[in-house]
Amino acid sequence: MWGSFFRMGFRVLMRQKKFFLLNLAGLTIGIVAFVFIYLYVENALYYDRSWKNYQHIYRVNETYSTGGKAEKMALTPYLLAGKLKDNFPGIIESTRLFFTDPSDKNDVSSVDYGGKMYDIPNLTIGDTRVFKIFNYHFTEGNPDSCLVHPNSMVLSLAMKKTIFGNKPALGKKLKTSIRTYTVTGVFDKTNRPSHLEFDAIISTNSLDKHEQQQLYTNWFWMNCYTYVELADSVNVKKFVQRVNYFADTAIGHYIQKQKIKISGYAHLNFQPIQKIHFSKGLLYDSHSNINITYLYIFVTVALFILLMASINYINFATARSLKRVRETGVRKVMGAFQKQLMLQYISEALIITFTAFILSLSLVELLMPAFNSLVNRHITLVDSLFSGSGLVFGFLLIMFMLLLALFSGSFPAFVLSSLKPVEVLGGRGLILRSNKKHVFTTVRLRKFLVVVQYLVAIGVIISTLIIAAQVHYVKNRPLGFDKKDVVVINSPADTSFRSRAANFIMALKTDTNIEQVTTASSLPGYLTEKILVRSGDSAVGHLQTLDGFFVGYHYFDLLKIPLVKGKYFSAVKPNDSVEPFIVNEAAIRFLGLKHPLGSFLYTPYAKKGRIIGVVKNFNFSSLHQKVEPLIFVLRPQFIQYVVVRINPHKKKEALAHIRNVWKKYNKGYTMYYTFLDQKLDTLYRSDQKMLSLFFYFSLFVILISALGLFGLSSFLIEQRSKEISIRKVLGGSEKQIVLMLVKEYLVLVLIAGALISPVVYYFIGKWLNSFAYHIHLNLCYFVAGILLVLLIAFFTVLLQALFMVRKRPVDALKYE
Amino acid sequence: MIETKQLKKVFKSADIETVALAGIDLKVEEGEFVSVMGPSGCGKTTLLNLLGMIDVATSGDYFFMGKDVCSLREKQRTHLRKENIGFVFQNFNLIEELSIWENIELPLIYQGVKKSERKRLIMDVIDRLEITHRKDLLPVQLSGGQQQRVAVARAIITRPHLLLADEPTGNLDSMHGEEVMNILDELNKAGMTIVMVTHSHHDASYSRRIVHLFDGQIINENLNRI
Ligand SMILES: Nc1ncnc2c1ncn2[C@@H]1O[C@H](COP(=O)(O)OP(=O)(O)O)[C@@H](O)[C@H]1O
Ligand SMILES: [Mg+2]
Repeated sequence: MWGSFFRMGFRVLMRQKKFFLLNLAGLTIGIVAFVFIYLYVENALYYDRSWKNYQHIYRVNETYSTGGKAEKMALTPYLLAGKLKDNFPGIIESTRLFFTDPSDKNDVSSVDYGGKMYDIPNLTIGDTRVFKIFNYHFTEGNPDSCLVHPNSMVLSLAMKKTIFGNKPALGKKLKTSIRTYTVTGVFDKTNRPSHLEFDAIISTNSLDKHEQQQLYTNWFWMNCYTYVELADSVNVKKFVQRVNYFADTAIGHYIQKQKIKISGYAHLNFQPIQKIHFSKGLLYDSHSNINITYLYIFVTVALFILLMASINYINFATARSLKRVRETGVRKVMGAFQKQLMLQYISEALIITFTAFILSLSLVELLMPAFNSLVNRHITLVDSLFSGSGLVFGFLLIMFMLLLALFSGSFPAFVLSSLKPVEVLGGRGLILRSNKKHVFTTVRLRKFLVVVQYLVAIGVIISTLIIAAQVHYVKNRPLGFDKKDVVVINSPADTSFRSRAANFIMALKTDTNIEQVTTASSLPGYLTEKILVRSGDSAVGHLQTLDGFFVGYHYFDLLKIPLVKGKYFSAVKPNDSVEPFIVNEAAIRFLGLKHPLGSFLYTPYAKKGRIIGVVKNFNFSSLHQKVEPLIFVLRPQFIQYVVVRINPHKKKEALAHIRNVWKKYNKGYTMYYTFLDQKLDTLYRSDQKMLSLFFYFSLFVILISALGLFGLSSFLIEQRSKEISIRKVLGGSEKQIVLMLVKEYLVLVLIAGALISPVVYYFIGKWLNSFAYHIHLNLCYFVAGILLVLLIAFFTVLLQALFMVRKRPVDALKYE
Repeated sequence: MIETKQLKKVFKSADIETVALAGIDLKVEEGEFVSVMGPSGCGKTTLLNLLGMIDVATSGDYFFMGKDVCSLREKQRTHLRKENIGFVFQNFNLIEELSIWENIELPLIYQGVKKSERKRLIMDVIDRLEITHRKDLLPVQLSGGQQQRVAVARAIITRPHLLLADEPTGNLDSMHGEEVMNILDELNKAGMTIVMVTHSHHDASYSRRIVHLFDGQIINENLNRI
């Protein structure tokens, strides 16, 4: 019996191609968007849950303050992991990974194999314990011994494939400009979404002896992520208290021994590893972290998209069924039972939903690479759908499609079959009268549903506009210095560069397209040093933490940072006994200096110094933050970067010159460089990502709502074809009638806009407040968003209205 | 007022061609009341639609008040119709979402008549047709006869020179039919030109001239003796 229903269903659908395609398209788009968002959210929630004991793994974070505001960071001193393991039996395992800034490349970032250079995007330093906690599957080598020897390197499978293809890598030598490493293992990151992003680890004992010595004693050198695995029995809260007591004591001893004068506090926090992906507000945290509110937003949008698609679907199906009043009447007269009618409708609905289902999964698979590059993930449909929670999702999705088919199929059958066949088949007046109420209520319901769709569409579009405006704003706001046309070159990691640096810089300056050159170890947009400072010229007072920049001569004139008082470094004579400092205005307020020029400052960097200049506040970190107190220390010999201002009109020539000079002075080293403004743009990567996601949401939502409106208006306007004809006969012009038809829908859009605007205002306002500097919300964004949707709605309905109005009135006025 | 020469209308659908009108020569003078009679399907409605310019002829000439309708553009035809012609249909064709008042008001709105003037005109007409107390009801709330009176009111509100009525009593019982015919008679006596399609000899007896159609052709014209 079902077979014949399906056959009949196919025939019916093929005869109504427009309906079929509209319905299929709407549903497919909806499911595609929904599945993508599901996959993303599922992946995000699965972060760091694949480690064998993940519920007991914690990262140790640190909150510290030395007066002023407390800093929270994800980094801890290297020695912490070992000290904890030695002193607390509750810790089963502990390990640490060095912090490295993957955006700040140097020679170790690229390795030479067989005469070819390969880029290792993210390299870190660790020891064998890493793999005790993070139990990656090893395709080559032994996780227990791979990082035991100096100059060992362990590669991710993807990295290994890039360098060695399918050949084994074990024992192969990789050369950097400084050392030669031996590949001792290959680990597989597949299906282990994690905040750990390294592509390679080198063994800690590869570092030089002096540095290693420091690592084992210094409590203030925060350069590592520390991870611990606790025993099941441990009461974490109490345990953390004991750990802090221990650390306080140890730091106390260290301060005493080192004779450092400092006050304040440090507090260690244990963060469950699966929460890292959503953590925020920590310095030096993982780049891949996401704001959990984004997830909530995505889930909400996904549900709305699915809801919209379902609404459209039901809207189409019921609208269409009303056109079939007569058919239903005939069938009933011919003796069809209500159940059979229902089965007929449901089988038609099933055909559509399942075609949509298969179509959308194929589309998802097809678009997966594009999606992955958009969200920067490695998600595969098969892995996600056929693993534990994915199976449930797949099952739920199928159930949902079934329900949708059942509901949309049985609703019209139910309504129509409750009409008496005599009424349906009777005179024209009778049909109209018996349907009047029914038509009226469903029209109202449909209009309500359209408003709901437009709520979502307008909301998403206004948000997108505002996010775009804010992203544009942060990228273009004057920062208080000139970020344009500044090339930042990473100096080679080998220490001998220092001796070549002066000549290198001299050579750079010989070209007329080079306007200025300086050196620095800190720049706006890069990570800053934290410097302990005590103000005053006596030994009283305590150390306070300031952001610190180590810079060379001409730093300020190159970046065009204006002076408020005093002098630049280049204007003072070197003086061995008193170090010159320059501070920003925020630092003066922070330190409470009434007469800053000439004030004495002490730093643990030994010598006493005095302030020789005050510069205007400029934004040296992202515009999420206000300008913090900042101190500049003159260190021409600390050359992490060579900074070059070039002729804006001769960029190519300038870069060519720089490259030439580099080659001459740094044979064998890759030149890594970036433009300062581009580097600053990366501070807004997550905002940019949010923007592009919202952009795609907008596309989806616009598409679905336009489809919905198209279907609905085509149905409603068709229903009014007779009225339209009468109006034409009575002298209504095309323009008047089209306007009348379109106006109703535009009013719906306006209502939706008015309803959603306050909601958007509230939520987007919250988002904007995460920036210390942001655009001011004004009516324009809301008006623009509503106008945009209005325009789309206008053309959607116009198409239908024109089509109907262009018809000769005779056709619709015929009465059989 | 009306003159047609060899007016033809052919409907083409997928595979059949229907000749609805096969060359009509018809003259209607100002102030005349003409009935069109004939069996179902002979082309009466088609003829009325052509005369009313809501459809265009396949070939032939049609002069309305001296203007060559066939050579006019859609917009000009609409304009000509709006100014001069009123319609009454067998099935009334009232707009169901609009009240009686609003239905009658519609042609005036489309003519751009001012609100106060509209009110005066409507009051005048509904008073004459005795539907004043029903002006706020919806069409479904009226009987067939009352609906047709509203339709007539709507057709004449703009004081057209020509009233086209397609079986205006077809859906009415004889008592209500009589009422409508009396109204048409009065309108004609006041000077309005009327062309009416009917099946009823009684209704036709109100008119001065009867045109008999058969298979799309005029087979007989005769004057009613009064
Ligand atoms: N829109 C149309 N398409 C095709 N044929 C039509 C159309 N309108 C009328 N006809 C045909 O033209 C002929 C005349 O129709 P009509 O003028 O409605 O007749 P009457 O009003 O005299 O009953 C009929 O055979 C009818 O089937
Ligand atoms: Mg007819």
